[in-house]
Amino acid sequence: MIAVCAKSQGLDALVEERFGRAQYFVLFNEDNSEVAFIDNAAKHESGGAGGMAVRLLHDAQVDVVLVPELGPKAMDAIKAFEIKVYRYVDKKTVKETIEDYQNGLLKRLDDSTATSKSGLRRV
Amino acid sequence: MKKIAVLSGKGGTGKTTLATNLFITMGKGVLIDADVEEPNSHLFLKPNIQDTKVVKKKYPNVDQEKCNLCGACGDFCRYNAILPAKNKVLVFKELCHDCGGCQLVCQQNAITYKERAIGKISTGQLSNGLTMHYGDLTVGEVSGVPIIEQLHRMVEKEDWVWIDSPPGTSCTTVAALEGVDFALIVAEPTPFGLSDMKMVVELLEERNIDMAVVVNKAGLGDQELHDFCATKRIDVLAEIPFQKDYAAHYASGELLSVQFPEYKKIMEQILDRLLKKVGN
Repeated sequence: MIAVCAKSQGLDALVEERFGRAQYFVLFNEDNSEVAFIDNAAKHESGGAGGMAVRLLHDAQVDVVLVPELGPKAMDAIKAFEIKVYRYVDKKTVKETIEDYQNGLLKRLDDSTATSKSGLRRV
Repeated sequence: MKKIAVLSGKGGTGKTTLATNLFITMGKGVLIDADVEEPNSHLFLKPNIQDTKVVKKKYPNVDQEKCNLCGACGDFCRYNAILPAKNKVLVFKELCHDCGGCQLVCQQNAITYKERAIGKISTGQLSNGLTMHYGDLTVGEVSGVPIIEQLHRMVEKEDWVWIDSPPGTSCTTVAALEGVDFALIVAEPTPFGLSDMKMVVELLEERNIDMAVVVNKAGLGDQELHDFCATKRIDVLAEIPFQKDYAAHYASGELLSVQFPEYKKIMEQILDRLLKKVGN
């Protein structure tokens, strides 16, 4: 199951600019092409949204997640849940981003893209 | 023992100015600066720091051998500080609020606690011999509550304690109010000042703490603050006028009551009315 951080609920949704506080995660099952979504409950957390979001993805049997960026705690959680993570850069739709992933255009992340408490500063 | 909290709701209304000047004018007791995210009483009181203590906070340590990954700790934690993952439990110690809940819900007894430093408390003497303590939370830490609790423990045997409280009405302000006999609300007569003060009044009512208001920067804003106090029957102990030379003197890090006799007189008036309310 692939998950993509999304601003709304389907394949035509635009991808999100954040992971832990993404509005939704659109889920795409590669085996049968079924589409579903999760309303990301972690977005309202005062802290630790990244870790909580990873747990939600794990509960939804996600094994690959496509993200714009990832904080250090979320990265620790992703590793502990053995979920693979790939980074998108362009603000496309969920569908286009999944295609980019399937065509091998997205880079696998092995490390977080930001340091702790870095706010909006990007790497 | 009497504990007097000086608080405001809105930041920048004059908590520290009032607390330090009342402390100096009274010339007795001890002052604690519980605004641990941005302590500044010491900038005005200029204590000679004699002692600095490290404040520690606990965080869970999971025995992965005992843990059966049931997930109860993660479900319980309101702050996402403990995360049961596939083969182990992750702990984000900086998110932990040290409530002890994860240990209580763990059926496997797999959780113990370790300690780490989150800030410090400095103690010093003023030139007139009075003592003050101030807490200082390390930048990036989520909660200064353990530091404020320790400040309270340090002054348990004092006769009179002034508390320079944090702004707002969150956990740190609630912690600063522990055991307080009377609250002095410093409010500026502006819509923003009143709006935040209402939250403080609600908090104090809920905690059953008697209160009175000192209007700071009087002459600014409007009449609504006074109307609110009249409706709520909250005494206004004094009105400190807004004056540019007060602001300039404050900005240079000096005490107003030392420089301005009329300001000192207002402090004496507040003390006089306060003592009538709380007893000596």
